[in-house]
Amino acid sequence: MSVEIIIIIIAYGEIVFKKFKSTLKIILIRELNMAILEEPIKEVLMLRNYIGGEWVESKGELIDVVNPATQKVIAKVPRSTRDELDAAVEAAKKAFPMWRDTPPHVRARYLFRMKEIMEERFEELARIQTMEHGKTIDESRGETRRGIENVEVAAGIPSLMQGYLLQDIAVGMDEFCYREPLGVFGIIGPFNFPFMVPLWFAPYAVALGNCVIIKPSSEDPISQVKVAEIAEEAGFPPGVWNVVHGGREVVSAMLDHPDIVGIAFVGSTPTGKFIYKRCGETGKRCIAQCSAKNFLLVMPDAVLDKTIPALLTSFFGNTGQRCLSGANLVIVGEGLSEHEFNAFYEKVVNAFVNAASQIRVGYGLDESVQMGPLRDKEKKQRMLTYIEKGIEEGAKLVLDGRKIKLVGDWPHDAFLNPTIFTDVTPDMFIGREELFGPIASVMRARNFDEALEMIDKNKYGNAASIFTQNGKWAREFIHRVNIGNVGINVGICAPMAFFPFAGRKESFYGTLHGQRECIDFFTDRKVVIQRWF
Amino acid sequence: MELVTSSAVLSYFTKMEKDVANLYKNLAEKLPEYRDTFLSLAKESESNVLAVERAYYSIISDKFEACFIKTLNTDDYNIKVQMPSEIKASEVLKTVIMMEENIQKFILDAAKSISVLLPDVSWTLNRIGKKRVDRVTKLKALLSKTKE
Repeated sequence: MSVEIIIIIIAYGEIVFKKFKSTLKIILIRELNMAILEEPIKEVLMLRNYIGGEWVESKGELIDVVNPATQKVIAKVPRSTRDELDAAVEAAKKAFPMWRDTPPHVRARYLFRMKEIMEERFEELARIQTMEHGKTIDESRGETRRGIENVEVAAGIPSLMQGYLLQDIAVGMDEFCYREPLGVFGIIGPFNFPFMVPLWFAPYAVALGNCVIIKPSSEDPISQVKVAEIAEEAGFPPGVWNVVHGGREVVSAMLDHPDIVGIAFVGSTPTGKFIYKRCGETGKRCIAQCSAKNFLLVMPDAVLDKTIPALLTSFFGNTGQRCLSGANLVIVGEGLSEHEFNAFYEKVVNAFVNAASQIRVGYGLDESVQMGPLRDKEKKQRMLTYIEKGIEEGAKLVLDGRKIKLVGDWPHDAFLNPTIFTDVTPDMFIGREELFGPIASVMRARNFDEALEMIDKNKYGNAASIFTQNGKWAREFIHRVNIGNVGINVGICAPMAFFPFAGRKESFYGTLHGQRECIDFFTDRKVVIQRWF
Repeated sequence: MELVTSSAVLSYFTKMEKDVANLYKNLAEKLPEYRDTFLSLAKESESNVLAVERAYYSIISDKFEACFIKTLNTDDYNIKVQMPSEIKASEVLKTVIMMEENIQKFILDAAKSISVLLPDVSWTLNRIGKKRVDRVTKLKALLSKTKE
């Protein structure tokens, strides 16, 4: 009898347990479904090159593309060979004569179509960026919009590429100047904006009559495959728009290739410097937009409740992996007594640290997440080394992002929470070098001049901002700071597509910048003097 | 539920306005005497969704990041978009008036929370929030004419 009871209890218990388990499962699934947007990549993608209008499998070794939040492999990308790059150049070279003879307004129509398809696939494109890079969905949508804006601006090429004419330079003689495309250009993209950055260049290049070969970052190459699919759907003739995946081998092949007339590169300063030098040696045009160490000044009259969100987005947006990210927060005591300055410094630091400590970190497809992971675990390891270095150099770690706190249950491999150091000086490693992660260094400057001197002494010159209500300080800042992109009460002063993406000192090699200014880069001027007998 | 990103606010707002539109469409069938008013409110809710989506998707950029908005808690607004259990005209009108007032408060607070980093979305929400007064006025006018 007791055996029967036990059997009944076990059986009943099992039913209850099963029911509990299934209910729990339903609750968990419901919770997850509420929070996480649907992933557009359902199975591992096998990426191919896009050469001469065909999707071509590479003979090169395949490497994994990993979603940094989930650590799942989402694609495999080839390290293409030199021969494959040669094939792409050949296809582009073949397409060039016909394409350059296509009227500019007709070329522009391909871009209008491209824009339409991008709008239709906007959300898919944005979510792919989150999956392959790690940024939040808001950030990915921002990147998508920025990319599309470049396509829109380039579609205005019939007006933008016009030359000029002066009649009667002498009796019966006229002179005019017009732009001509040059041929095949190579575009080397970075990992931090896998969708947008190649679009700083490619739409302009093709609108002007050139052909392009894009080498996306092999860390997150999927977005550029999608862009090439869109170019194909938009109907670009074979060979005008090409994508070749790969690493150093492909970059070297691009730099050496005699039929590539110019390179547009965005990435780190050491690589940019190397590329610029090689382009000089091989007679190519070059745009190399590189590393940064951006200073943000907070003046005593700054509107703090509006400044703090701008600081958060500047230092921790895109997980600090932006060449426009804030790196050094300089609190300036202009016009304050020592006592007042100390109080102001404490106030800003406390507000900043308090706000940063509440940032929700997790998978970017979760709409309640404000900051995603770093692109990969190697980059996180690098950040950990920098944090150690900061501590060793005597900076004070006031917010330790190594204590991982996530929204959701994700592997910690690539995650680092916001990290803040105070008592940083400009000569320390963490105050001087680009870190490219969610680590903020807080500094003190006794006055405005001292703050400007800090910026001036740094080797980089990409961006700097000032937070103030004082027009005179703002004007002085704009005028005196030797920096390419300047923000007044703006944390990320990213130029729109219809302005050049500036940059100076060791943040840039070349003379012409990306976005609208690259119209000059992708064309040469021909000057004609004519008279008729 | 706490909303801490613009994407979350957009999702919540969109779902809410679509539910509101559906509610008014249902009410238009159930209370034919108010059909025109309810259908116009439904249409307005649908165009509100388009206006906010347009502001968000066309201006959002990495210049004005959207991840760090001032936290909004939806529980603070007690917004219930559901068919009133009682289909008596006066009760229905009282319920939707209260719903509209709560929604207005939410929208105006959402506009403030987003204002620093996404000024265009904030401006659009603010405009929609302020116009909500007209909806309440319309519904109150109907209520005053109701004899039940």
